[in-house]
Formats: sequence, C-alpha cells, structure tokens
Amino acid sequence: MPRFKTIFSLISLLVVIGLVGACGDKNSAAKAEKKAAAATKSKNPDTYVHVTISDVDSLDPAWSYDTQSHMIIENIYDYLVTYKGGSVNDLEARISNKVPSQENGLLSEDGLTYTFPIRKGVKFHKGGEVTPNDVAYSLQRFMLFDRAGGPSSLLLEPITGLTTTRSKDGKPLDEAYTKVMAAVTVDGDYVVLKIHKPFSPILSILASWAPIISKEWAAAHNAWDGTKENWKKHNNPDKTAEGFHDQENGTGPFMLDRWDKKTKETVLARFDDYWRGPAKLKRAHIKSVDEFQTRKLMLAAGDADSIYADYLQQPLLKNLPGVELIDDLPRIDMNPAIFFVFKIETKGNPNVGSGKLDGKGIPANFFADINVRKGFASAFDYEGFIKDVNRGKGTRAQSFIPKGLFGYNADQAAYPYDIDAAEAFFKKAHGGVLWKKGFKFTLAYNAGNQPREVIANMIKRAVESINPKFQIDTRPIQWSTYLDLSNKSKLPMFILGWAPDYPDPHNFAFPYMHSDGNYPRLQRYKNAEADKLVTAAMTERDLEKRKAMYFRLQEIAYEDVPTLFVLNSVLYRTQRTWVKGYTYNPIHPDAPYSCPLYYLSKE
Amino acid sequence: MAKFILKRLAMLPLVLLGVTLLLFGLFNSLSPEMRASIYVKDPRQLAALDEVIRKYGLNDPFHKQYSRWIGEVLSGNLGYSETAKMPVTEAIAAFFPATIELSVMAFIPIMVLGVWLGTVSAVHRDKWIDHVSRFISITGYSLPSFVLGLLLLMVFYGMLGLFPPGRYSLASDLIIYGGNYQPYTGMVLVDSLLNGQPGVFVDALRHLVLPAASLTYITMALLVRITRSSMLEELGKDYVRTARAKGLPENIVVNVHARRNAWIPVITIASILFVQLLGGVLITETVFAYPGIGRWVAQAAVQLDIPGVMGVALLTSTLFVLGNLAADVCYALVDPRIRFQ
Amino acid sequence: MSDNFKEFAADTWKRLKRRPLSLVGLALIAGFSSVAIFAPVLAPPEKNARDYYLIPQDGYSPDPVRPSAKHFFGTTEQQFDLYYGIVWGTRTAFKIGVAVVFVSIFVGILIGGVGGYYGGWVDEVLMRFTDVIMALPSIILAVVIVTVRGPSLFNVIVALAAVSWPTYARLIRGDVLSVKQREFVLAARALGASDRRILFRHVIPNSIYPVIVVASLDTGAIVLSAAALSFLGLGAPVGYADWGQLIAMSRNWIIGASGSPLDYWHTVAFPGGAIFLFVLGWNLLGDAFRDILDPRQK
Repeated sequence: MPRFKTIFSLISLLVVIGLVGACGDKNSAAKAEKKAAAATKSKNPDTYVHVTISDVDSLDPAWSYDTQSHMIIENIYDYLVTYKGGSVNDLEARISNKVPSQENGLLSEDGLTYTFPIRKGVKFHKGGEVTPNDVAYSLQRFMLFDRAGGPSSLLLEPITGLTTTRSKDGKPLDEAYTKVMAAVTVDGDYVVLKIHKPFSPILSILASWAPIISKEWAAAHNAWDGTKENWKKHNNPDKTAEGFHDQENGTGPFMLDRWDKKTKETVLARFDDYWRGPAKLKRAHIKSVDEFQTRKLMLAAGDADSIYADYLQQPLLKNLPGVELIDDLPRIDMNPAIFFVFKIETKGNPNVGSGKLDGKGIPANFFADINVRKGFASAFDYEGFIKDVNRGKGTRAQSFIPKGLFGYNADQAAYPYDIDAAEAFFKKAHGGVLWKKGFKFTLAYNAGNQPREVIANMIKRAVESINPKFQIDTRPIQWSTYLDLSNKSKLPMFILGWAPDYPDPHNFAFPYMHSDGNYPRLQRYKNAEADKLVTAAMTERDLEKRKAMYFRLQEIAYEDVPTLFVLNSVLYRTQRTWVKGYTYNPIHPDAPYSCPLYYLSKE
Repeated sequence: MAKFILKRLAMLPLVLLGVTLLLFGLFNSLSPEMRASIYVKDPRQLAALDEVIRKYGLNDPFHKQYSRWIGEVLSGNLGYSETAKMPVTEAIAAFFPATIELSVMAFIPIMVLGVWLGTVSAVHRDKWIDHVSRFISITGYSLPSFVLGLLLLMVFYGMLGLFPPGRYSLASDLIIYGGNYQPYTGMVLVDSLLNGQPGVFVDALRHLVLPAASLTYITMALLVRITRSSMLEELGKDYVRTARAKGLPENIVVNVHARRNAWIPVITIASILFVQLLGGVLITETVFAYPGIGRWVAQAAVQLDIPGVMGVALLTSTLFVLGNLAADVCYALVDPRIRFQ
Repeated sequence: MSDNFKEFAADTWKRLKRRPLSLVGLALIAGFSSVAIFAPVLAPPEKNARDYYLIPQDGYSPDPVRPSAKHFFGTTEQQFDLYYGIVWGTRTAFKIGVAVVFVSIFVGILIGGVGGYYGGWVDEVLMRFTDVIMALPSIILAVVIVTVRGPSLFNVIVALAAVSWPTYARLIRGDVLSVKQREFVLAARALGASDRRILFRHVIPNSIYPVIVVASLDTGAIVLSAAALSFLGLGAPVGYADWGQLIAMSRNWIIGASGSPLDYWHTVAFPGGAIFLFVLGWNLLGDAFRDILDPRQK
C-alpha cells in the first residue's frame, strides 16, 4: 500500500508542478501587459533610483577621492562656484556670489589673489547659516586634513606650493599650517584666497573640491576646531575618526537620509530650505549591485531609473520598453593608455624572462631604445580596437590631451597602425640584435578589465606575427599585484588610464609627461624639456602661449613615445524615459551615470 | 555530559588561534605593497603608496603585526573592513542576520525534502521511484550554483517578474526606515512581524524564495544520499526483519523503527550543513545580490581586506566548533547507547 | 588473488547492470575520457599555437555569435570558439578533478594514516591541524589561497587540494584505528614487521575502499568548486580552455535583449551542459560505487 501512496503523491506533485507551470505561462502574458502599462508610469514618481557598481567610501569631502563618494557629496554640499550646465569651461556662482575674474575685479591683476563675496542666507541642513568663517574653514580643513592618498594636495599644492603637510618621516609640519592659514583669510563678507603662483585652473578645482561645511558642526563632531593646537591631531586621521565620515551638515539640495552600508545604498532626501528653492525629486536612492543582469532586470521592471552599463553590454539593453540610451557622450579622460618602462627592474622578475636580449627574455633597457617603442606604437590597431571593443564609438586619441579640452591639437601626428613600419623599426632596434635573437616578456593587464585584456591580446597577436622569435605572454593580474609590480617597475609594459581631478590640460600633462608625475615615475621616463614645459604651462596666463606649450608637449609625447594613447572615449547613459531634466557634463564624477540630482524629475 | 561540553569548548580558543595564524600567515606572505592595495585603489593615489604602508604598519615583522591585531581583537576591536565600509563587528551584526534568515529558509526545505526523498528511495530501492528521486537530487548536485541562480533569476524575475533579487523592495525600505520600525533582531522576517508589518514580511519572503530554492535544489542531494544509505542499512538489520516478520505494517516498520535509527548520520550531516550555510553561501548571495556574510567575505578575500576576512573566519570557525558540539549532543539524545568519552 | 578479482569484477558488473543510472554515469565518464584523449583530433589547434589550451579567437568583437558550420557551438565573448574550449576544457576538467583528488588522498593518507597508526601526541597534533583547516568554510579558504597565490589553474588545484585533504585524513584515520586492532595486523607486528611495512602493506590497503567512494563523488564536486572560483574571477585566465571560465564569461549573456531573451543561449548551454554532464557522470558513478563497495548493503 505505501508504495501506491508514494506513487500517488509523486504524481500529484508532478501535476501541481505542471499546473504552476501552466499558470506561469498565463501569468507571464498578463505580466507582459502589465509591464507595458508600467513602462509609462513609475512606481515612485518622486523617488529616483540609480543602480551602479561601486559603493561609497567615505562622505568626508576631505577624505574621499573616489567617484562614487564624490557623486553623493556633490549633491549634499555646495561649492564656491560650479560648472554651468554642460560646459567644462564656464563657471557660475554658488556660495560665492560671483565668479572672481579680472573683469569684475575679484581677481587681482597678478592673478594671485581671489576674492569671494559670500552669499547671505544660505542655510545648513541642521541649522545655522553660512558665514565667511565657515567658507575659510572649509578650504583650510580640506588642505590640512591631508590623509595619505587623499585629494588634499589638489588645493594644497597650487595654493601653498607644498605637496604634502608632513615631513618625510610622517610628522605634520608647522610650515604647512602657517602657509594654509595665511593663504585663506576672512575680510568682512569676503573670503580672500592668495595662491603662491598664478594658476588659472584653481577655480575649476574649487568647483569640484572643498565644498562648504559648518565649522561649528565640525568641531562638535570630532573634527578639527580651527585652532593651531589641534590641527596636528586631525592631520591624516583614521577613516572613521571624524563625524564627516558618515554624517553631514551641508547646504546642498539634498540631505543625507542614510548611508546603508549593509545594502550598499545611499538615500538622499530633499532639503526644503535649499537656497535656490527645493529640488523636484523628493528622494534619491543610489544603490550598488554588482551583477549586470540584475541591474538590467531592475531597470526593465522600473525598479531602477538609471543604471551603470558599458559598451560591451549595450546590445543587451536594446528594445527595453520605456528605456532610452543617450549615446555618444564625450568623456574627458585618457583611458586606456599603454606604458613602456624605460628601466625595468630585472632582478627576481619573471616578467622579463632571462633578463637578457637572447630571445628568452628582455634586458632592463629594452624599451629605452626608441625603435622598440615606435615598433610597438605601429603594431597596435587603434581603429580596430575602437571598432570591436567600443562598437565604433569614440575616436583615436592624438595624444595625452583628450578631445574637447583646452590644448587639444587635432593636427598632432600619431603613429598609424602599420605592420611594415613596425617591422622596419624592430629591425633597427638594439643594433639589429633584437631582430636576430627575438625577445620574450609578459604584458600584464588588470584582471576583469575587458578592454585592456583585448589590447594586450591585440598587441601580442600583431607583434608575434612580425617575427616568430617575438614572444609576448599576456597575463591578467589582480589589482594588488599590479600595484606592487608597477610600483617596483617590474612590469615591462602595462596598461592603465587616467581620469582627471579637474578639466585642465595640466591634470593630464603632469601625470603623463612630468618625471615626477604618476606614470613617468613608474616608467622611469624623464625629459628635461617636458618637465620644464609642464611647470611653465601650469602658471602661464597668456592663453595663446599656454596652448603653444601644450602643443609642444604633445609633440614631445610623439617624438619620445613613452606612452601610447588610444582613445578619446565616449559613453552612453541608460535611463527610463520618464526621467526628465538630464544634462550631460563630463566633469561630474562617474558621468554620464551620475549628475546633479537637483535638476532631475520624473513624470 | 557537562564535562564533555566544557572540554570541547576549551578547544575553541586553540582552533581560533590556529585559524587566525594560518590566514594571517597566508596574507602576510604578500608584499606590503600588495596588502596596501585595499587602501590605494586608484592610479591617482599611486604616489601615496609608501605613506599608506607606513600608516597601517604593513612593513612591520609578522609577529608584530599579528600581536597588534590579536591585541586589538582581545580589546574588542576587530578593525575596519574596507569592503564592508564599516567596522568588522558592525559588519557582522549587519550581514549575519541576513545570512541566518537565508540559511534557515533553505535549511527547512532541504531537510524535509531530502529526508523524504531519501526514505522513499530506500524503501523502494532500485524501483523507478528510487531512480527518479535520486536523479532529481543528483541533477541539482551536479549544477554549478551560479548557473542555476542566474537561470532562476531569468525565468522568475526576468520573464515572470515574480521574485526579485536583493533583500527587500523599495516600498519595504521606506517602511523599515520610516521611523516607526524597530530592528529588534536584524532579521527582516522576524522584525516585520514584531512590528506588525505583514507587507514587509511577504516582501522579504518573496526575495528569499529564489536563493533559498536554489540552495535547496543544490544541497538536497547530500541529504537524500545520506538518508537513503542510512535507511537501507537499518532496513537490512535483524530487528527490522523481525518486525516485518511479526507482520507489523510496513509504514510502521519504516517510520517508527528504521527511521529513528537512521536519524543519527542524518543529524551529523545536517548540523555540518547548517553551519556551512551560515558560514557563507558565497556564490548564491553574490548572484542574488543578497547582503549576507558570504557576499561580503567573497569581496573581502578577493580585495585583500584582511580585517574583514579575519573577522568572518573568527565567526565561522566558532560556529563550526559549536555546530559539531551540538551534533554530538544530539547524537546522545537520539541514541542513548552513545556515551561521551 | 586473480580469482578474487575476477569474482569481484563479475559481481561489480552484475550490480552495475542492475542500475541503469550507474551505467549512464559510466557512459558519460567514458565519453568524456575519449573526448579528452582525442582532443587534438576533435579540435585541432592552430598551427603556430604555443599553448594548446588557449582557445583560438576569431576577431575581438565582444558579442557572442551563434553556432555555425565554422564554429559548431558558436563563439562566446571576444569570439573565443566554444567548441574548441569545450573539447580542450574536458582535459582541464579531468586535470583539476584528478589532480586535486590524488593530492588530497596522498596528503590524507599521510596525515590520517600516520596519526591513526602512531596515535599519541603525533595524532593529537595532526588532528588539531586538521580541525583548523576544517573549521574554515572550504570555499573561503580556497578563495584566500588563490587570491594570495594569484589566480591560475595551478593555484586553483593547490587551493582545492589544500581544503579537500582533511576529509580523507579523517576517513583514513578512522579506518586505520579500527583495522590496526584486527588480527592480521597484530600478527604481522608479532612477526616483527616494521611500522612502515605494516602501515603501507596491511593497514592502508584495507581502508582504501571508502576512500574510493568518496573520491569518485568528490571529483565532480571539485570541478564545480573550480567553476565557482572562476565565477569569482579566481580561475584560469580568460581564453583558457576551462569550462568554469567559459560559464563565467557567459554570465552577462544568459538573458538576451528584451524581446529575444534566448539570443545567446549557446554561451551558457554548451559549457553549462558540459560541466553538468561531467559532474553528473561522476556523481552517478560515485553512487554506484558506494552501493557496490559498501559491505553493509550487500
């Protein structure tokens, strides 16, 4: 008997499964209809949900140096000035009543003194109004905070001439305090900023960094109180030591409702007393979801209003009802770039094989020979890369200054993809030994970055096809390994990129061309003329002369070929059609995915 | 029995010491630059590398770093997890209730279905029911969990819109953070009922269906297998034959006599299984964007977030020791013949 | 001995035949074995290929292309040929499964056998070490090991072996403890045989059967664990013939664009099917072994 019972129960189970399946079918039809209806109406008409891939690091404006945190900070704080609409050059006033210029007399003739008239009646989220003292304190704290690896030097350096607030052994320097306090002073309703050398991008830096905070609130929340005795305690502090880490008292259009680290979600609520009038959206959720398919499904279901997605994923976003792709948005960055190391550390380094030019490895000075660099420059299919990986979007980069930025030279020569030319260069290299013996080394890229992976494989294929004795192993490595090896100059050739802190050619020239810059330091590349030009162009106030300097720098980049620049990149934005009021400005962190939420609304 | 339990508990610190030394040693075989990578994440910060290494003492000798860490742990500070973006203790308090919820929701069907199918298989050994039930369970056991997870998402969220990923929806989110909601336990299913919010309860349940179902299907086979072989062994024993010979109805023989003794290995496996579920279902939580311990530790390990991994290791190892202890105690309760050594 | 073996083989075959499912398992493993052996014939590598395990790429386009006469199983992201990857991936799967199981058994025999045989403080130390390894969820420890050593196929094998051996050590220790009390061992000792001889000639051969059962079941599970590591980005590099890697590459394509959700079905169906059948084969086989070798169920 029990056997029949079991058979019966199994059968009934199958029947139930079948029924559920059948219902599912009907349901799906009904759901599809519902979905079509849902496609035009949002579930939460005054709440905006953005789903991205990274999460917030710290909400302290002086600590955070990553795009995700910056995106939140930008919406809860105000800056002295800001970018106008979609422009990267025109600024408009915010906490400063006017944008200082020589025409309005707020910028001194020598270009060293900026005077900011402070707007009255701007309310902080948690009470109180902005005073000139708050503004001065905001700038001072930003510079003196100076955590290791933080953004403080962006202001510290142009204003005081110091690159750090600490001595070599990590002790805070009194000199830094004196200089910072002398540079930022209050004069009645004005804040006066004196910089040590003329530096025109300073206003664009202030448009993205050092937002206005409340001095009183800061002192009450474990942050620096503005006194000389205490600044050292608050120099390079622990991440969570100060209230700014996960609380705020800004003046921006949104208040921090909560930062839910558990669900990787930041929730912003409208600040009704905002001095420019309340925002249209009531709330905004910015959430992190790693899996692309999950993000896409959320967008399709209307649970997300916009999501992060790259070009590789674009075909999967087609035909989603109620979703629009705003395409061809030019970016201001230089990513990816391919770097040659001029003096490779060969000791204990498997990436260079034998460490000699004997066909089984490469010597330390392998890339010091310009013919080798030119050979590689000619062996990369720039257009093919753009076509395949970027779906034909974007254009070939001419040099290190991206298209659309001051100093960009459309006529700058760049090496074309030409295998025959590459062969000729390789034949000349290292007195012909290279061609005879061949070489072998490892070309590394950071694991998980598909465009860089394709670049590595394309170079490998092309170069190996020139001479069977040429061997390149491509190897994905973790970011930690990457950091370690590139810092020790153990990667002969590597692929990374650069996103700017502010839209000025100096922010590209220094990291790419100056021997103290981020990359030349690792590449051990030094060109005395380039060093001089980078420094001079930084303070040059005559725009024509400045432009000429950057043109010359790009020529040097062409002559020396320390680095290959690939792409003037573009991106696209994916959002529900009911999102209104979006304006693209490449300078906003993580643009085009993020933007000032103040202008957005949903219908 | 109390003595036995105390003796086993005394082993706990030793195991924890071993586990942390092992992990710390593994991590410290990396260069300081590599361990600094969790703090230096952007090419823009490259220049600060040396200063970061100095700040976090990454260049100190091993014993110094380990004793510094253990000193902090003993004073109650597990450090700051860069992947969770919060102190480790806070992170455990945040993620662990979610994992408990998921584990329980998966554990119940695993037990019920697994034991049922296993018994059916054993009773009808080598009959088609046996083959079918074993096939069903074995296919689940043979599927990569992320493939199953993504397929489930595709059908039930993508096509039918029934069961979304994550832990709860925006509407529940607004209630939970609306001000009148007390997070007593951190477990949404429990808290929602305590707060009188059936809507949130149903919503959280909907979010749990897919990950729990996927875990059930994948893990059930283990229980089917154990129950089946254990039942077969019991059914072959003399006392069962005697019972049958006496003419006792088959279902009484199976359900009362054999199953009772077959429980012992099932309980061992079940307790180990439950601890394993609690210890982090890395892949399932990752696929369903479910904010539990597993998703956190997966990221922490890959990004070299050492305090995070160490914190989870302390938690899971403690659970493991306690889980084994619980299994042994259960043994004794089910089978009085077993004596504590 | 050979009579015994013949009898055993005949008995085994009889038992296998009774279970159609175990025959399916046997057939699957036999099928995969021949694919692995004949990989160079089934999917000839490119002429100048240095490493046969690197899947040939037909261009660099990011979009998978459906099966065609040129690519039987289609291509996945970046135009890696799925057919080639699956054929050569069979070898990788065997490599991972067999290497991990063998290393684990070896280490397990060493640690469990020595601990169980000598007992005392040796046993105590070895078993406490085993406890430490077992106290950590194996996937967490494996992830840490691969992260620290760097992702590669070899390190995946190292990590999985490092977390798999304790099961065998415990199993063998338990068996050794019971076997060593049996008469023939006691007799051998009385005759003055050395410890090592007794351990390897008498004790271990007698405790090996349960190990075989666990090992055959484990092989499938290990291949799944390796795939899980690949999913977390900790497996063989992209383009290496490894099923886990191929499935991980398909994760973005499991659901196609709206309106045509099955556009890229082949990216997940072929590697997913291969790994599923492979693991299924081992599981069915393991189940069968268990029934056959388990003396309690005769």
